[in-house]
Amino acid sequence: MAPDTTVPQTSLLPTSSIKVPRHVVYRSFPSETVVLNLETGKYHGLNATAGSMLEALESAASVHDAAILLAGRYAQSEEVVERDMCELCNALLERGLIEVDGGAAP
Amino acid sequence: MAPLPERTRVAGRSSVSSPDASPPQPGFSANGSTIRRMPPDRRLNPSERVSLVAEILSSYLRARKALRVTSIEPAVAALRGGVPPYAAEHVDAQTLTEARRLGRAVQMTLTLLPGDKRCLARSLVLTQLLAKRRISAKLVIGARTAPSFLAHAWVEHAGHPVLPVGDGSFGRLVEL
Repeated sequence: MAPDTTVPQTSLLPTSSIKVPRHVVYRSFPSETVVLNLETGKYHGLNATAGSMLEALESAASVHDAAILLAGRYAQSEEVVERDMCELCNALLERGLIEVDGGAAP
Repeated sequence: MAPLPERTRVAGRSSVSSPDASPPQPGFSANGSTIRRMPPDRRLNPSERVSLVAEILSSYLRARKALRVTSIEPAVAALRGGVPPYAAEHVDAQTLTEARRLGRAVQMTLTLLPGDKRCLARSLVLTQLLAKRRISAKLVIGARTAPSFLAHAWVEHAGHPVLPVGDGSFGRLVEL
């Protein structure tokens, strides 16, 4: 399925896999993660938590799997982490910084 | 969760190299003919200087136009004119010297004349000049977050900077 940059319903996100497109690059610094969209020339800053989430999202098979990873790492509830991740995904999608690749409706 | 602040727009990634293009050896053009490098101790005569300044200005105008119509990655590819940003296998001292001389010329010219003097403009202009001379180069974009956010662009030949890299605090974001 072709990557989708439109904002999907929140309920679709947990099973979706997230991809950082080729024209988006990022680097983690001690205080924040800097993301550059080469197509727009705009920089974006993510705080440490959001930066960790982005890295987890890129490496995990789905948003849900990424949430499980971070929930274990930070000793937080999976539901809370997953909810926050979905919010982050929506924000990143709006800015064209990630793409949603597939995902099934519940 | 903190919102995503949008930073300053930079007018100006990923690799645009052609995987099938084999890099010419240092000192040789793509068709195998020899490219003569300027001896490191030779100074430009007045007419050569005028010619170089004209070339820099022309490149600057081309860079501005390219960024107006497209994003930075295809702009860099277009300004290279099809010369891939292959990595040199070893550093040729004479080529590096010439690249640095051109870098200084670009800096001085753009500083003295009206127009965009920012790092990205200098980097784009130098990328063109080096490509015309078949000198491999990469345009690097970096950023730092402390003491405040700042982005910076520079050019490297075979891993050696030929434009100022700032104070060394910039982490690399992308090489084009």
